[in-house]
Amino acid sequence: MHTAGLFCSLQSSLVDLQPVTARRKQTISIGDKLKSNISRREFLRRLAALGLGTVASSWLLNACGIEQRPEPTYVEPTRSPWVPTAVPSATPAPTTVSSATAAPTPTPGLEYPHIAVARGGEPEQLVRRAIAALGGMERFVRSGDDVIVKPNICAGYHTYEYATTSNPWVVAELVRLCLAAGARRVRVMDSPFGSGPEQAYAVSGIQEQVLAAGGEMEIMSRFKFVATDIPEGLSLRQKEIYQDILTADLVINVPIAKHHNLGRLTLGMKNLMGVITDRPQMHAQLGQRLADLTSRIRPALTVVDAVRILLRHGPTGGSLDDVKQLDTVIASPDIVAADSYAATLFGIDPTALGFVRAGTAMGLGRSDLDNLTIEEIAVGQ
Amino acid sequence: MASRSGRALGLTPQQWIRLRRTVQNAALVLFVALFVWSRRGGWPAGVVNFTMRLDPLGMLANALASRKLLAGSALALCTVLLTVAFGRAWCGWLCPLGTLIDRFSLRRWRRRRQPYPDSWRSVKYGLLLTILSAAVFGNLTLMVLDPLTLLFRTLTASVWPALDHLVTSAQITLFRVPALHSALSTFDRLVRPKILPPDPAYYRYTWLYAAVFVAILSLNLLAERFWCRYLCPLGALMGLLSKVGIVRREVNERCTQCDACARSCPTGTIEAENGYASDPKECTLCLECWRVCPQEAIDFSRHLSLAKQREYDPGRRQALLALGTAVAGIGLFGSDVAASRDHPRLIRPPGARENNLLSKCIRCAECSRACPTSALQPAILESGLEGLWTPVVVPRIGYCDYSCNACGQVCPVQAIPPLSLEEKRQQVIGRAYIDTNRCIPWVDLEPCIVCEEMCPVPDKAVELEEVEVENGEGEVITLQRPHVIRDRCIGCGICEYKCPVNGEAAIRVYVPGT
Repeated sequence: MHTAGLFCSLQSSLVDLQPVTARRKQTISIGDKLKSNISRREFLRRLAALGLGTVASSWLLNACGIEQRPEPTYVEPTRSPWVPTAVPSATPAPTTVSSATAAPTPTPGLEYPHIAVARGGEPEQLVRRAIAALGGMERFVRSGDDVIVKPNICAGYHTYEYATTSNPWVVAELVRLCLAAGARRVRVMDSPFGSGPEQAYAVSGIQEQVLAAGGEMEIMSRFKFVATDIPEGLSLRQKEIYQDILTADLVINVPIAKHHNLGRLTLGMKNLMGVITDRPQMHAQLGQRLADLTSRIRPALTVVDAVRILLRHGPTGGSLDDVKQLDTVIASPDIVAADSYAATLFGIDPTALGFVRAGTAMGLGRSDLDNLTIEEIAVGQ
Repeated sequence: MASRSGRALGLTPQQWIRLRRTVQNAALVLFVALFVWSRRGGWPAGVVNFTMRLDPLGMLANALASRKLLAGSALALCTVLLTVAFGRAWCGWLCPLGTLIDRFSLRRWRRRRQPYPDSWRSVKYGLLLTILSAAVFGNLTLMVLDPLTLLFRTLTASVWPALDHLVTSAQITLFRVPALHSALSTFDRLVRPKILPPDPAYYRYTWLYAAVFVAILSLNLLAERFWCRYLCPLGALMGLLSKVGIVRREVNERCTQCDACARSCPTGTIEAENGYASDPKECTLCLECWRVCPQEAIDFSRHLSLAKQREYDPGRRQALLALGTAVAGIGLFGSDVAASRDHPRLIRPPGARENNLLSKCIRCAECSRACPTSALQPAILESGLEGLWTPVVVPRIGYCDYSCNACGQVCPVQAIPPLSLEEKRQQVIGRAYIDTNRCIPWVDLEPCIVCEEMCPVPDKAVELEEVEVENGEGEVITLQRPHVIRDRCIGCGICEYKCPVNGEAAIRVYVPGT
């Protein structure tokens, strides 16, 4: 019944349509002569085709996307400049030095310290000397590399004097060193939890110095946080991680040493929380989850800014009474070692920090400072 | 203006119409540009809010209600002068809403029907008089109908959030194609920071503002420029000023009553019964009639006389009716419970005081647009119907940024005072309270310190107390439990915004006070 009726009405409407289309054709041709515009019908037809094409391609992309997801098995980064050593207590002898640092470096025979600590000078000098002690930036950067420097720019509330964001000159000097070592480009980025990136980049002073040094400030794009498997993770097995952090040739982690109530301190491993979304999820088992996250990102170089450290009311600070000027920069390819050394600046035993314990247990680095070679450089003299 | 050669100032009618459309488009683009860069980090606040300060209705109503003349509102005199010189040329040449109504004229779908009675035109005068009478009593609720505030609010709370959402969704989809990565990155590096927010901007009831706007455009189905003819209160104010307008449309003796002008008039003010004369209070100087006239029978010439009285002009009776409506409205609003007791969540922007905000705020939503976190939302019913679409901080949507004082800078009427950043940081806009029935360390016995971590006050308004508790498995664990130190809290709401508890936060900001 229904179909028959429908068919009839369709037929009649077709009959009705005929003269209309004829008339339309005429008007179209006149319109074409007057102005070389396409007719509305043609426009709609093209729009529909475009829309269909978009829908179809996005559907197709969706289908492709499933295959393009990060591979479930973790592939050891081919260019990791250091190899995680075994649990430190098992290998207490200083002979392990070579395995921790020299293994992948192109210049055999040279041995670099685990940690370089520069004290007493201008921030730029501290960075230069500390990096030089580790073998120079050429050890980490190859010509044409795409480098990301990840400072701590937690919010746009205060200038660098308040020791809540990484020191602008420390960051800028790293940018300069990378470019001098042949980096193709150096991007600096963080995702502040307060004020938004534009404001925070500007207020921190980092933007000005980085641009002057020839680096780029990148505002992290929402779409680049992609669900990524963390194969070594014990508590955290998957997380939305900023893609560029995983694909960059080199990531330099530049935390500022600060007080933080849950982790006690926020240092290198905690600084990596800036490249993920849904951060409160990390808080449940902060130490372990920071280690899990570190296992996936593995920054090749960590430079802890301890030019000014924040002793209380972290991570946001806001009072100069809580700031202590140390004029110190700690650099190490080993993120756990760098954090461990930085903890001592606060008079805290590194093993008292959950994330250091977890990181050590996972073999991400070493916290047995007594057994590490530490080069202390007094810049001031 | 129009000479016998069919030209005026060297331009043909066709060229004049083209010029008018260009001016309309430029004004609309400027309006949208000023809107876009009203966001913190955009153009200087004193520049972006100039569209609102051009609005004579907003400035007049604000001056009446707040009993204070703002120096910045002198800009509205430009519009007044323009109107005295050229009548409602604003409506035909500059008004961004009028331009949109023109571009979406829906002519094709409009049915030919009998023209509506001219008496309908008095509705807008009624609205205008009600707005002004209410303003005398300190009420500005009906400013929601001002065309500029209406359009700005729609852009803020509907158009831009929707645009951002669509762009971001497209980006997320396209990011699956590796070949497009660099193009998308370039877009986000170069384009997004200038026009779209880095983090999603959410607004409550985005559809509502869009619906109001679409409804106004849809009125075009009933009659061309229905809103401008019958409803627009700003148009009404300009209509009254046009009574002494200098340049007016004139019909000369060459008219052959061909009716072409009457059919072309977008406001329908050209009537055969009046010898094809028009009412300067309704004419938008769009020049369409001049273009279609086959006889060159239309002039736009100078007059220094009062326009002819029309039956729909506002009279004493209508003024009394408007006054009565205003008084009744004041009575009803005043007896609404919202007037006697603050809504617990009525958190006003920093420095704004409830009693004078309502008599200053022209509901333009400039502050909502400026707010970088979208914390400032147009109020729905938090302060009763009287406070409809005045700004209110909704911490679960956004927090009041400790490094921001944009709302006070951008407010065209100082309903939110222009405070320095230092002053703004001292403003207590609310107080946070912890809901120990929801808070993770209290209920789930798991660590969480997000509120303390986020608190931007230098000595932290949230403190942690270390406690030893027995968890479900019988182990004794050490936990840090947050407490709010009331005298330190400024109510910025970042704790509520960031609280990881699903749904309603476990720490919430309420109106300040004991």
